Amino acid sequence: MSEEKNEKMQDADEVVQGRRDFLKHVCTSSAAALVAATTPSEAVDNASNPDADVTVAEFFQGHFLLMSEEEKLQAIARLEKRYSAQYSKKTTVSNAPAPDGVLFGYALDISKCIGCRRCVHACVKENNQSRNDPEVQWIQVMKMPKGNIAFTADQLDKGYPEKSEFGDYGVQVGGNAYKTAGLSTEDAQNYYNDELVPDKDFFYMPVQCQQCEKPPCVKACPVRATFRDHAGVVLIDYNWCIGCRMCQLACPYHARRFNWGEPHLPAEEMNPKTHYFGNRPRMRGVMEKCTFCAQRTREGRNPACQEVCPVGARKFGNLLDPDSDVRRVLATKRVFRFKEEAGTYPKFFYYIG
Amino acid sequence: MDFLHKSPAIVALALCGVLATGVSAVNSAHAAEEKPAAAQNAQPVTDCFESRIGYSSVTRVENADPKYGYPNVKCSQTTGAVLWWGDPFDGTIPMGEMPDISDSTRGDFDHAVVKPREPQLQYFNMGPNGCETCHNGKMVPFPKDSKPRLIGMHQDIVENSLKLMHGRGALWCLNCHSATHRNHLIDRQGNEISFNQPQKLCGGCHGENYIDWRAGVHGKRIGSWATGGKKRWWVCTECHNPHTVQKARFNQLKPESPPPLPRGMKNADYERAGDAKH
Repeated sequence: MSEEKNEKMQDADEVVQGRRDFLKHVCTSSAAALVAATTPSEAVDNASNPDADVTVAEFFQGHFLLMSEEEKLQAIARLEKRYSAQYSKKTTVSNAPAPDGVLFGYALDISKCIGCRRCVHACVKENNQSRNDPEVQWIQVMKMPKGNIAFTADQLDKGYPEKSEFGDYGVQVGGNAYKTAGLSTEDAQNYYNDELVPDKDFFYMPVQCQQCEKPPCVKACPVRATFRDHAGVVLIDYNWCIGCRMCQLACPYHARRFNWGEPHLPAEEMNPKTHYFGNRPRMRGVMEKCTFCAQRTREGRNPACQEVCPVGARKFGNLLDPDSDVRRVLATKRVFRFKEEAGTYPKFFYYIG
Repeated sequence: MDFLHKSPAIVALALCGVLATGVSAVNSAHAAEEKPAAAQNAQPVTDCFESRIGYSSVTRVENADPKYGYPNVKCSQTTGAVLWWGDPFDGTIPMGEMPDISDSTRGDFDHAVVKPREPQLQYFNMGPNGCETCHNGKMVPFPKDSKPRLIGMHQDIVENSLKLMHGRGALWCLNCHSATHRNHLIDRQGNEISFNQPQKLCGGCHGENYIDWRAGVHGKRIGSWATGGKKRWWVCTECHNPHTVQKARFNQLKPESPPPLPRGMKNADYERAGDAKH
């Protein structure tokens, strides 16, 4: 009896064991299958086919800043392999960290700028933007009429609060209301196509990402795909961006560009030296903007727009270093920030040299 | 079926027609697609200039940096201007000895490099001895004094030697060009200065700009952004023409192409509405 019972219990044990084994087997194998599908090696093999653009592994990757070192290296290797196959040239994706003890700043002399737009196109050559349909440019040069100050002293006391059938809202009309006081972007021309520049009676104001100390775009991003690094530059993890364009709405400087379609970047024009947060080719449906050329400035070189300016109106450097070009400009010239009233504290300064 | 048996030739012709029209349709569709791509694949511009036409020219060299397959420069298709340097120190030499000015803005010249000006000067490169090929005291005698007089030569550089567009009448050629060593410039103390270092000469009068230039505020430097890093400095004559500077400090030039109009917009005339007001 006891033996019988023992046998039965053994059977039951075996059954339970068997069931457990079975379940275990099934679970692990299916999990393995899932893992296998997402391992970088297999996923990257798919990447040689340009249609399998965003691989499964890339799709499942987390925020780059929260990855472990190993995951970061895997992600970089994945991208390098994909880009190298896609553009048929050896592409490097750097992961160089921002230098310590540095706060990047930029200064632009609007009295020298001649509006030649070389910075715009140098930026495109460096940063792998889509070349046509859509043509994406990160810098916008505004041609502004000189002296558009309509605000006059004799009109100062002529304003009065607007009256309406719903009551007195206190919105001023009359007098100087709705007149520009100082410079206004209202009369700016962005699409000017003159034979020669600079045009008489105009000055030029290039606008790009102002790398704010209090960036509204970072506040607006619901997934924290855009963030400010410790050198003060606002960057985007293109793989983590969900394309909601909230940052674009939040930016007072019209500095962000959205990839509405598949970017068209000819292989021969592609810059193979890239950075994860910088100029690596973007995909459809993600936001992009000026990064102060992360791939250059993190390695000590000047941004492309600074290098190309034929009149030397652009100065780049470390705001924490009193001997840097930018600090010298801040110390000796008349400096202003664009849309200072927005409270964004840009690290991009305009000066009159 | 009867029809087929009777006139196979007609059927064959008809089939061919269908095929042919189909093929041509496909071709035309492709042509429409490839048109913008062909425009993109236009040959890269090889004869380029830095900052100004005729001031410093560069020839594009493919694969100058084999690590990334970079050319030395990338140039604009519309103007031929250099837009991008593969290596910012390509073709540079050390700036050379610079005088020490003991104020807070003393220059950071330890790793300063410049592009030599001498290879860019047209007359300098006409003979083996530079300007002294002709200005050797025999072929062209040395001038006795620096009094302005009418000169028939070099009118492409200075149109009217009695109206030099620099210094508002106070200067003449031999205030800056050495009378006896024509391959050199000469400053007011009589020191001979290389064409590669015009800043030493210009700084003698334009002290304010010279101090700003030494501090990195005036002019252009590329390369490293860090203080003490290696930088290529632009010297005065790479941007300014000393012979016409009184007319324009920086002559007008042709701009690069404007950004694309938003989809559906025919022109940007609405922007120019403001022109009338001002």
